[in-house]
Amino acid sequence: MSQGKNVTVRKQKIKKKHIKARLAFFLFLTVLLLLTVIFAEQICPYDPNAQDNSLSLQPPSFAHPAGTDRFGRDMLSRIIVGLRTSVASTLTLVAIITIVGTAAGVLCSYFGGIADAVVMRISDVCLAFPGLVFAMAIAALLNGGISSAVFALAVISWPKYARIARSQTLAQKNTDYISAARLAGGNSLQIIIKHILPNSMGPVLVTSMLDIGTMLMELAGLSFLGLGAQPPTAELGNMMSGGRSMLQTYPWVIIGPGIAIFAAVVIFNLLGDTIRDYMDPRNTKSRQV
Amino acid sequence: MEPILDVKNLTKTFITEGKSPFKALDQVDFQLYPGETLGIVGESGSGKSTLAKAVTRLINVTEGSINLCGRDITHAKGRELRSAYREVQMVFQSPVTSFDPRRTLGDGIGESLRNSGLSKAETKEKVFHLLEECGLPAEFAARYPHEVSGGQCQRAAIARALAIKPRILICDEATSALDVTVQQQIMELLEKLREEEKLSYLFICHNLALVQNFCDRLLVMYAGRIVEEGTPDEVIMHPKDEYTKKLIEAVFQ
Repeated sequence: MSQGKNVTVRKQKIKKKHIKARLAFFLFLTVLLLLTVIFAEQICPYDPNAQDNSLSLQPPSFAHPAGTDRFGRDMLSRIIVGLRTSVASTLTLVAIITIVGTAAGVLCSYFGGIADAVVMRISDVCLAFPGLVFAMAIAALLNGGISSAVFALAVISWPKYARIARSQTLAQKNTDYISAARLAGGNSLQIIIKHILPNSMGPVLVTSMLDIGTMLMELAGLSFLGLGAQPPTAELGNMMSGGRSMLQTYPWVIIGPGIAIFAAVVIFNLLGDTIRDYMDPRNTKSRQV
Repeated sequence: MEPILDVKNLTKTFITEGKSPFKALDQVDFQLYPGETLGIVGESGSGKSTLAKAVTRLINVTEGSINLCGRDITHAKGRELRSAYREVQMVFQSPVTSFDPRRTLGDGIGESLRNSGLSKAETKEKVFHLLEECGLPAEFAARYPHEVSGGQCQRAAIARALAIKPRILICDEATSALDVTVQQQIMELLEKLREEEKLSYLFICHNLALVQNFCDRLLVMYAGRIVEEGTPDEVIMHPKDEYTKKLIEAVFQ
């Protein structure tokens, strides 16, 4: 009996250790990726926009590890700078939808009434459309460029966060500690900031971590379709789009950015997964001892 | 003597779509006088807690009026209502969930003081003093609600309620979640505070024995109405209402 219990405890400890090691590893990779993005200009070996037609479509070599594109621009430099455009706009996008969605969800459910009904119906409308198609329509209506792609994706993605924040707030709204905070003379804004937000942010932040990968892909997707960053701006999606006719003849033009998107998405997704596992109360019991 | 809490015709109707309206409080009428301890007893679902919440305006009332220290707070909002909370405070049934799980007990106790404009240092000083008054060492200010026992947490909750020196303390089943010995300690604390702070209590409880010793006057509630009123001895020894008889039989058989 007691032996069986010991075994379970031990298993939990091993699992916990495992999660911590995974978390450290993926955090390291994420930091590496972010450093690459931040110091993109210093790292890239050539000017990403310098054209040299005598060097066009060179296969990978020591001078150009990822080859060159149609205009003789160094692919590695363009991938690094493109990664910066993609990652920076993805992080902006996720920050916007997290903040807007959470604010809408928390305020609506706290105050309730007509505003709640109206905002939630609007979010239903946004959720009812097939996401990427709706985003394409919005992006096409705007003047193009990466910022309109970010805006389009923000419009379709905020309802998810509003829903999560709303349910978290609803669960808390009638608890005794919120009543106590009201009796302590706090106004609604103070109560939301001091009590409701800190107690709702866990699931919201985990969702936004998990969403970074997806959003990176959707943003690159919009750019691939020509609705995001416009040439000559280096962005992974439109670099792939520019190379897609040369897939059979000069594959490095499309494979390089493809690998970069793949790597970034995998790193962000696995980091999100690991953070979710780490925050899961079933795995954190041993931390409180 | 002027009552400090005068509740007239208080009615609260819950309306749920697809169901017939439910009267949780039906024309409730009572007064609380300075220094008095008024007990409210009744079975689960008789409207005791709804009454506590309605009196403190944590929920809106459907009809009737609430007069607190000469001020009508039935429809008070915002700043006006917040200033009314300087007169009335509440101790909840479940001690641990009445504190924000992410903040320390000290934060919770000092919240009303901070809201009333005291500095951090002054608040800290007062919180230590309040904890001591309620029989807890000062280092409990840095603890989280899940790190202390139910009884200790309820002491902290009482300290929180006393922080801004209210005149009325509403105890909504404040001892129900505690075991018998701890219950006794909390009752002693409440009794001590009654003398020292000149508090008036609205003491909601379903334990008749506890009420008999502690309260000056007793209200019996059933289905949202007050069915009987009187001193504890009167009510318990010579119940007039059918429901009160049943309630007492259930305990003392």
